[in-house]
Amino acid sequence: MPEIVIFLLIKLVMTIVIFALWMTMVPFMIWLERKVIADIQIRIGPNRVGPFGLLQPIADALKLIMKEDITPAKADKLIYPIAPALLMVPALLAIAVIPIGGMVTIGERSFTLQIMGEYRGPNGFFVPELDAGILLSLALSSLGVYGVVLAGWSSANKYSLLGGMRSSAQMLSYELPLGVALVGPLLLASSLRLNEVVNAQSNFGIWFIIPQFVGFIIFLMSGTAEVNRAPFDLPEAEQELIGGYHTEYSSFRFAMFFMAEYLNMVTISALAVTFFLGGYRLFTDIVWLQPIWFALKLMLFLYLFVWIRGTWPRVRYDQLMALGWKVSLPLALVNLAITAIVLAYVPKRAVLVLTITSIVLITIAYYGSSYNIRRSTDMTARSGYARRHLPESEETRI
Amino acid sequence: MEITGYNVAFIAIAAMTVTSAIFVVTLPNILRSALFLMFTFIGVAGLYVLANAEILAAMQLLIYVGAITVLILFAIVLTQQLMGARITQTSRNIVLGGVAAIAVFAFIATTFVSHFSKGSDMIAAQPAVPTSDPLLMIAKMLIQPYVLPFELASFILLVAMVGAIVIAKEDKD
Amino acid sequence: MTIPVSAADWIVINTELILVGTAMIVLLLDAFNRRISDRISPWITLVGVVGGLVSLGFLWGQEYTGFAGMLVIDSFSVLVKMAILFGTGLAVLLSVDYLRREELAQGEYYGLLLLSTVGMLLLTSSANLIMIFLSLEMLSIALYVLTGYARMRPRSQEAGMKYFLLGSFSAAILVYGVALIYGALGTVDLAGVAEALTAPGILSNPVLLAGAGLVLVGLGFKVAAVPFQMWTPDVYEGAPSPVTAFMSVSTKAAAFAALTRVLVFAFSDLSGVWMAVIWAIAALTMIFGNLVAIAQNNIKRMLAYSSIAHAGYILVAVASANQLGIQSIPFYLIAYTFMNIGAWAVVTVITRKGEEGVGLSDYTGLFWRNPLLAVSMGLFMFSLAGIPPTAGFTAKIYLFMAAVNANLIGLLIVAVVTTIISAYFYLRVTVIMFMHRPSEVSAVHVPIAAYVAIIIAVVATLWLFLFPNSTQAFTEAVWRMGL
Repeated sequence: MPEIVIFLLIKLVMTIVIFALWMTMVPFMIWLERKVIADIQIRIGPNRVGPFGLLQPIADALKLIMKEDITPAKADKLIYPIAPALLMVPALLAIAVIPIGGMVTIGERSFTLQIMGEYRGPNGFFVPELDAGILLSLALSSLGVYGVVLAGWSSANKYSLLGGMRSSAQMLSYELPLGVALVGPLLLASSLRLNEVVNAQSNFGIWFIIPQFVGFIIFLMSGTAEVNRAPFDLPEAEQELIGGYHTEYSSFRFAMFFMAEYLNMVTISALAVTFFLGGYRLFTDIVWLQPIWFALKLMLFLYLFVWIRGTWPRVRYDQLMALGWKVSLPLALVNLAITAIVLAYVPKRAVLVLTITSIVLITIAYYGSSYNIRRSTDMTARSGYARRHLPESEETRI
Repeated sequence: MEITGYNVAFIAIAAMTVTSAIFVVTLPNILRSALFLMFTFIGVAGLYVLANAEILAAMQLLIYVGAITVLILFAIVLTQQLMGARITQTSRNIVLGGVAAIAVFAFIATTFVSHFSKGSDMIAAQPAVPTSDPLLMIAKMLIQPYVLPFELASFILLVAMVGAIVIAKEDKD
Repeated sequence: MTIPVSAADWIVINTELILVGTAMIVLLLDAFNRRISDRISPWITLVGVVGGLVSLGFLWGQEYTGFAGMLVIDSFSVLVKMAILFGTGLAVLLSVDYLRREELAQGEYYGLLLLSTVGMLLLTSSANLIMIFLSLEMLSIALYVLTGYARMRPRSQEAGMKYFLLGSFSAAILVYGVALIYGALGTVDLAGVAEALTAPGILSNPVLLAGAGLVLVGLGFKVAAVPFQMWTPDVYEGAPSPVTAFMSVSTKAAAFAALTRVLVFAFSDLSGVWMAVIWAIAALTMIFGNLVAIAQNNIKRMLAYSSIAHAGYILVAVASANQLGIQSIPFYLIAYTFMNIGAWAVVTVITRKGEEGVGLSDYTGLFWRNPLLAVSMGLFMFSLAGIPPTAGFTAKIYLFMAAVNANLIGLLIVAVVTTIISAYFYLRVTVIMFMHRPSEVSAVHVPIAAYVAIIIAVVATLWLFLFPNSTQAFTEAVWRMGL
């Protein structure tokens, strides 16, 4: 059998396994979310279907799929059906560059547990890891906007349209700080390959969350906004927009939106783990334990997402935009500049210096941003925007 | 042409790119046109991958698909009259324009085909074989010989942003 | 760690740095305090422009190459840069009261004006096709916005939109040409292009020819040469008058500098091919511009066609491609800057709010309403027509001499005949101003800043006629650069 066939077979198996694992994360996430939120709200949560209600998501999914698939009469017949897929496919593809484990050696072949990862066969057969790994991942995550805009537009419903516009504007706005926040770790690792980022963290002997704390905070914030999760879940602000861009969708297509949201959340968490929490490495270098470490760290983030949703109120739309453009982006750029300067002039003590500057920067940013947001949103409230778009209240009339 | 994996992939991607491009300029619904523009750009990114230019492909996705076409979609969706409007993409000058387009295409195509088939060295710029990390090469090029164009590009973006704000800002009350 | 920018690099871009810095100050001031900015931003801009002129004075007669050959400072570029900065400065003087009259915001206007100027300055000294494309984009994008700056006036909007669309097409054509040239020669550096063209058999390479042709089209659009001129009348008419004044001279100067550098210096070995093309374009441009200008009753449109015609005259110098021709280009550009901005200054002053009163009839008996204005306008018209005692006359003489030296007799005849034709419509304005008495004599209010601009233009127009040598020693040096 030629080596290329073996290579493709191994990659195929790996792809299937990773995709399957990823997909099972979705029902698990749904269960986790319901349980944790219930706990936060002092309820019990799902507890009837299966042990601890574990089979509840499957029952939900079955119920959802068996419902009638409705297409509104005025909907765009071509775009309406494919919009959920446009959201779902990039969400799935983005995992291809994330390493969930290190180098595995079987006989004379060795490869990383990463779909687009490195592969070494006998007789010098060598496929390197994708060069522009993180670029591809960011590019794919930015494709999700299409699904949202098109779903909102093609539903021929003003709530859907507004929801779609809001949510896509939000995703576009937060893509920038999200990308820039990742440049800090990339500079430290001096590579765009995610595997190298993981290795760099073990070489430095420290997770990048410490020297890149500012980047981490921005990433977490932008990531939450990017996947439209609470407290940035404005597109689904029920009291204003019914259900946002997926108001009209039902049955399996609705399920796809749901899955895409959870998949994106898992992907963002996986990126956070890779960039800031040392990826698949922990304590030992035993290869077969690495995916487990990865999974554990992933759980941590997923729990964090649910925790944030359970405890934070939704922000207002102008606050959201102010936070994105006036706080996150400048802060991410300052962090990038500091990282670059430190690496250029004191490369030996980079970690120490960066840790100190991170603490200083985050302190300044905390007080500065709360002032900045309050000021800018006050200004918005006073400006023509509020006068034209908000209904006149009793107080203002008096 | 022999059937290799490369050729099959090339023809598939090229066919997708060209077909989508034709849809872009013929469909009566402008939003669908924009959607197919996205597929065209994705196809171009695929061609870059086949040419071993992964970074360029990722950039193509990030910029053209992830940003430019999204903005086009935004503009369409925000323009209310376009919702469901059917437009014709041809004008009175379609014959003249078509002739001009075909002539230009024929000229460029024959130029390239004739000189490539002769195997002449009409194309002086050979794709550089990346000796080291191609990303590192790009980075070094940007900051050393091309630092001025790089900075100038950022100023162009600044001008464009200021200009966009000037045009779009609300009037003083 | 090495900083890849050397001392020579800083010298090469010091004028641009001064203007960029001024632009940043103006924009930031506007962002933080609008009231102060409205009052002082034109004066900050003027200070920056004067600073740029001073820095050019230091570069007078020197030669530098910076950024790995991407930018060159030589007498040619310094002279053209002076023309551009004079254009900017005079346009600023015109804008102060114009913006107030039309109730337009001040801050961003000057920021965009300055950034556009920076693009022009860079275009003037670009010796690399990438730089040419980028600086062309920079100046164009700022100009698109400035053209549509009077947003409430549909004409201005329309002009901005037209300019934007056609300008984008031309930029795309230009960059396509650059790509083809790179494909054929493997370099985008103008010096590298000149060197690569010495290789045997390269001149008949169709990829190269197609690329050069597309670059020519792209630049031809910016200088408004026939047949790429269709945007000019609408844009010049619709844009705010000071913006038109600015772009009709400064853009033209910068684009001609780039065109000269590309054709005469980089593609000189290809001159057998482009000579005929430029010959035809120059002849067509002169004939078309002058003939159509006759039919215009709107002064802005008339000046627009006149501007097209003048592009044709400068193309004669490009086609000559000899010492005198290259020397006469900066001289013509400087002379044209003063006389054309002068004419536009008068138009700006005469025009009423909302760009009303641009018909030729609005100039009836201007002499009785404001003699100084009428005399100045008459002088500018004489100069544009090439009648002594004005700079336009001297500039045309240089041009015609260059054409004689290059043995371009056919083109010379076209140039002389069209000059005579042009005298008709230029002098018609003069006749209307002086020979017809107005039905009612109402004084024209002229703001002081505009007066200053007009007087500077008048003085310069006369000065360049009386003392053409003041720039001649300098233009001599132009020839020395690398030819």
